[in-house]
Amino acid sequence: MSITHDKEFKLALASLPVERQRQVAVAFCRRVQDLSHDVRVKSALESAGRVDITEAELLMASHAAHAARVDSFAQCGRDVGWTAQAGHFVAKAAEVCVRIAVPGENIAWEAAMQTRLARTCQTVAEGLGTENTEAREQYRILENFLQS
Amino acid sequence: MSASLEKGVRVLKEVIDAPIASYFNSCVHCGLCAEACLFYTETGNPKYTPIHKLEPMRRLYEQEYTVLGRLKKVVGLSKPVTDAELGEWQELVYNSCTLCGRCSAVCPVGNDIVYMVRKFREGMSASGNAPEGIKGAANRTITIGSPMGVKLPAVKAQMKHVEKDFGIPIPMDVEGAEYMVMLSSMEIMNFPEYLGAIAKIMQHVGKTWTLCSTAFEATNAGMQIGNSDLARVIVSRIVEGAEKLKVKTVISPECGHAYTALRWEGANLMGRPFTFKVQHIIEVLGEFQELGLLKTEGFEKDRLTFHDPCQLARRGGVIQPQRNLMSMVAKNFVEMPDAGYMNWCCGGGGGASAIEEGEELRLEAFKVKKSQFETVKPDRVVTACANCRIVLEEGLEHYQMDLPVVGLTEMVADHLVEKGA
Repeated sequence: MSITHDKEFKLALASLPVERQRQVAVAFCRRVQDLSHDVRVKSALESAGRVDITEAELLMASHAAHAARVDSFAQCGRDVGWTAQAGHFVAKAAEVCVRIAVPGENIAWEAAMQTRLARTCQTVAEGLGTENTEAREQYRILENFLQS
Repeated sequence: MSASLEKGVRVLKEVIDAPIASYFNSCVHCGLCAEACLFYTETGNPKYTPIHKLEPMRRLYEQEYTVLGRLKKVVGLSKPVTDAELGEWQELVYNSCTLCGRCSAVCPVGNDIVYMVRKFREGMSASGNAPEGIKGAANRTITIGSPMGVKLPAVKAQMKHVEKDFGIPIPMDVEGAEYMVMLSSMEIMNFPEYLGAIAKIMQHVGKTWTLCSTAFEATNAGMQIGNSDLARVIVSRIVEGAEKLKVKTVISPECGHAYTALRWEGANLMGRPFTFKVQHIIEVLGEFQELGLLKTEGFEKDRLTFHDPCQLARRGGVIQPQRNLMSMVAKNFVEMPDAGYMNWCCGGGGGASAIEEGEELRLEAFKVKKSQFETVKPDRVVTACANCRIVLEEGLEHYQMDLPVVGLTEMVADHLVEKGA
């Protein structure tokens, strides 16, 4: 299966059960993980990546990722640091990855969107503008995931 | 007297107008304003009594504009305002005042203490005594156009992102659109989903709308720091954009002070009436609801409460529309004590959240919100101000309360009946 646009990508993600969505969401996050230096984010993603994770563990990881997201908000009136903001969106994506989701939710799509925001912040920070290939990379990850 | 103090004192003398004079003369020293201020109630420290926060300005008023005060000054019985004193007062005028207006609401003689604090901030700002955090925001507003340094490419990047996420085009610079949507930097940076919600709602109700490339930022740092000239520049950018695009209504975002600056102060700052209407997004949604344009499906089942942003509810008088909207999408809605007009501030308004050194005090004052939440034990908190949202999340995190905070506009958008359904 070759994915070429977001509509197809979103539908393919939505068709996955929550547990599988979580796995692919973590794979999206791995690509931008280094943009966050928060150990809570790293730890949450490690937990989310485990196929045998329990609900209690998810809840604990969720608290940690939530705290990391809140700590990294751009504050009203303070200068926006694009690198820091990239970290914020990684934390937001990590929080999505460890959310105890109900069927019907598309957590993988949500994580994909947040990681794209993280990548955009990074390219802006590096003076490379807002164009990047994150979406295409995510299509490729999903294709491989579906084939595995 | 240093040059900066001289400038500050001159500005203070200029801003002491008839209302300020009458307010100082009317104060009966009852102390009710203290009980209304979260910084006083949560710390018990009398220095946070709202009227006390104006003491240097009161003395200056007395010394300059009353016979007895002038006499006292001549014979040396009245202490002059000094640089050191204004420096000391910075904490009282900025860090511990969110311009929430609760003190004005309870004053038995009708003194608008917020108005007085804002005038005092003019002098503080002119004398160089505004906090560094707010000064930085004001400088970025002048040089970049946004207090957080958000430029047009960042907005365009978010537009592109939202278009992909929601599958709806985001219009920019469309002449003749009915609505011009403003954003706050907070929404651009932290909550791009707000823009997606707007796109979804506008498509649903069939209204034309646009962003403006020369006036997308609604946050008014001039108002927060106490600089009318800067506040005017920011408002004039919006007015020029709205008039250039010939829109009928400018929508203020989920940002309290942006709304007050544009809706209630804007025309006065410009010295002329606007050619367009200004409404908060919640007022617009309320109108759509009244006209039967919002078709929703399903309800939030968990226990929800609403945090009223001070500038929207108390200073702006918008109290019922948000409740009507909540009833459209929530089955289990519960009001906090003091909700609506007398709601307690999140603790971060009026520029307070931009002041790093005020964080400890802000978290102390947050105990009043904590207590409100504990009384009704909601599962989630809904609000309509991006800054409130972040300050609430920080406070809840600090006190280890597991209570998600969500935006009302996004919640309404989530319940809209899909087109063609």
